Amino acid sequence: MPVMDGRELRIVGFLCNWCSYGGADTAGVARFDQPTDLRVVRLPCTGRMDPLFVVKALLSGADGVLVSGCHPRDCHYSEGNFYARRRLEVLKQFLPVTGIDPERFEYTWVSASEGQKWQEVVTKFTERIHRLGPSPAIADAAEKLKAANLG
Amino acid sequence: MSKLDTLKEQIQEALPDLDFVVAWERGFDPAHATPYHIKEEADLDRMVLDATCAHNLASFLTGFKGKKVGVVVKGCDSRTVVQLMQEKLIDREAVTVFGVPCRGVLDKAKLRRAVDLSRVESLEADETTVRLSANGEEQELPREELVADKCITCRYPNPLEFDHMAGKPLEPVGDEATQCARIEAFEEKPVQERFEFWVGEMDRCIRCYACRNACPLCVCRDHCIGDSRDPHWVSQETDIRNKWMFQLIHASHLAGRCTECGECERACPMDIPVLMFKKKLSSAVKELFNYESGVDPAAIPPLFTFQIDEETINERGW
Amino acid sequence: MAKTVFLPEENLDAWIKAMAAERRVMAPVRDHEAVVYAQVNDASAVELDTQATESPKKAIFPQTETLLSFKRMKTAESPDALDIEIRESIEAEPTVVFGARPCGVRGFAMFDRVYDNKRITDPYYKARRDSTHFVTIGCDKPMNACFCHWVDSGPTDDDGTDVLLVPVEGGYAARAVTDEGKKLLDLAETTTRKGVKAEADAVAKQALEAMSEAPDLSDVPAKIMDAFDDLDFWSEMTAACVSCGACTYLCPTCYCFNITDEAAGLSGKRIRTWDNCMNHNYTQEASGHNPRPTKAHRMRNRVGHKFGYYPDLHDGTILCCGCGRCIARCPNSVDIRRIVMRVKER
Repeated sequence: MPVMDGRELRIVGFLCNWCSYGGADTAGVARFDQPTDLRVVRLPCTGRMDPLFVVKALLSGADGVLVSGCHPRDCHYSEGNFYARRRLEVLKQFLPVTGIDPERFEYTWVSASEGQKWQEVVTKFTERIHRLGPSPAIADAAEKLKAANLG
Repeated sequence: MSKLDTLKEQIQEALPDLDFVVAWERGFDPAHATPYHIKEEADLDRMVLDATCAHNLASFLTGFKGKKVGVVVKGCDSRTVVQLMQEKLIDREAVTVFGVPCRGVLDKAKLRRAVDLSRVESLEADETTVRLSANGEEQELPREELVADKCITCRYPNPLEFDHMAGKPLEPVGDEATQCARIEAFEEKPVQERFEFWVGEMDRCIRCYACRNACPLCVCRDHCIGDSRDPHWVSQETDIRNKWMFQLIHASHLAGRCTECGECERACPMDIPVLMFKKKLSSAVKELFNYESGVDPAAIPPLFTFQIDEETINERGW
Repeated sequence: MAKTVFLPEENLDAWIKAMAAERRVMAPVRDHEAVVYAQVNDASAVELDTQATESPKKAIFPQTETLLSFKRMKTAESPDALDIEIRESIEAEPTVVFGARPCGVRGFAMFDRVYDNKRITDPYYKARRDSTHFVTIGCDKPMNACFCHWVDSGPTDDDGTDVLLVPVEGGYAARAVTDEGKKLLDLAETTTRKGVKAEADAVAKQALEAMSEAPDLSDVPAKIMDAFDDLDFWSEMTAACVSCGACTYLCPTCYCFNITDEAAGLSGKRIRTWDNCMNHNYTQEASGHNPRPTKAHRMRNRVGHKFGYYPDLHDGTILCCGCGRCIARCPNSVDIRRIVMRVKER
């Protein structure tokens, strides 16, 4: 499997059911070529996004997280993505202090008809993650302290 | 009349109508104070008011439902009262707030670096100097070297919400720019270094939840997802990832709510700078929504609402 | 009693190196503002002047340990049934805990009564207990929160240790307390110094005299039971408490644990982790009922267990070593000594 030998990295995508999932579907139906690192988790709406989903994914070893929803003003549930926009922007600004690279997280808006855009978003984001490389592993520091004392 | 005497008088007068008042008394040695309940006049004798009174007594308020209580608050603590009012977590009518302007409290890590904190025999602090003796040695140190970081950049020395005030109002000593200095310096380091810093800090964490329990706004109490099995956000393991995830859960749940009282960092028995996470979130909220928590009882926290056109958020063109 | 010899300060490094060649040596090292126990190979990072922030408890009783790991799988013989493979994991390596104080080490004697007795033996605990030995440093001066002499111990108590070092001029007065201790001490370069035992005794005497008089706690178990239903009293005692776990996790004698299964898909592990009686969930029952719903109830249990129930069950031994960590590190400076004295004075 490409992910097991490092040819692919682990990228998690949170897509809203109505616009972005539809947009990804459109891209698929049109047989657009795109990297397959991204694995989709479908949500009813980006309003369902708890910023902690992103944090948990990144801390659990995901190399990148992409969130995509309907364009603001076009939310299937009217307001969900307005809340998401605020929460995710705050998260993006928060990540630098945590030591997690904020470049590994991105949020965007892709509508159901924007298959081409979806292909571009996935390709660009996957390329970015490959440039950043696999996310750093958390070695429990006991090993590090042990290593520091050797010799 | 000293601030302490004025405060005692104010409390004495209000006491008959209250179940108790939360204040500070001397702790196990001169360097430590401890919260206690004043139920009757005789209890007033034990009250102290000095630079060792670091505790945010407003953090106990949400546990007193159904009681009429009084609480002594410094400037930073009063922001907690305001935030609790904003979130309708306390009945303001049932709380009598005794405000005291504050010039800063002593930081235990700084004290420990300067003296043998475990063997302090006496401690006295005035506006500029801290006089203490430890291990038979007397020392005089400038107060500014020993006060907590949050006090050096204090913008709210005077309580914002109070029923009584003991003492004259003080001038703020800090501004927004200096408040963020520690975080800005930290964020200049390469991301890998920041990552390794937190790995080291989280390794030392013993997952005691002192930070969570000391936080005045952590009101989920027994339903905290940090130790629930359902939902299963974090496991029982005390490995770095789970402890770090808990810190980020805690900080995220305080986004736009944290008033930076600093109890989390003060409470930590392993001296981990956990306040950094919350301070960064507060400054992100300030920058994006020009909002500061715990200042205006009628304000709506920005993450509870939205605007159709957000001036400060670009539409993420890809 | 074995002979007391003199260990010069500068010979500590070589001794630790010699011990580290054969065993895991855990010693107090600085970690930013705290002092924690970590594995060392020489004396360079070791910090012996202050009481370590945490206790050495984790050397024998780690905060998380895997009891067993399991994997569910199907077999060709019965494809519709899930079979389970279980692997026990008992990890123990020869260890020396170097540089703890007598209070930190005494905790294990109390663990032993519960974890390794006639009725029951915890194999995980026993494996590590049997392979761990102690070089303890006595105290020449008490701290403000110290009260080891309240609980039948003292600044140079050798109960539970293999080698006792007492600080004297230029180094330590060293004495092997057990046979294993003799083996350890033989790895060090010590000398005989005339009068070093008397020096050590003088240090011990001076340290004890610097502590205020210890109360007699033998009536406390009965007094605790008398106060059992007085929840107003326990509420007053916990006015400052925030119900965290700092006191429990830093305590050398607290031994409660929790067992949980952490599974991911078909495989997982059963782990044991430290539990803490100050937590709301401590006695939470599956039905939803909680017999200890408030911090008053839980502090009553904590003080009751340490100064009442355990002594009643174990010949008067108090489940406390008087190290004072719970007092010094409590966010709000709750003082268990005050609580015990208030119980006693009722």
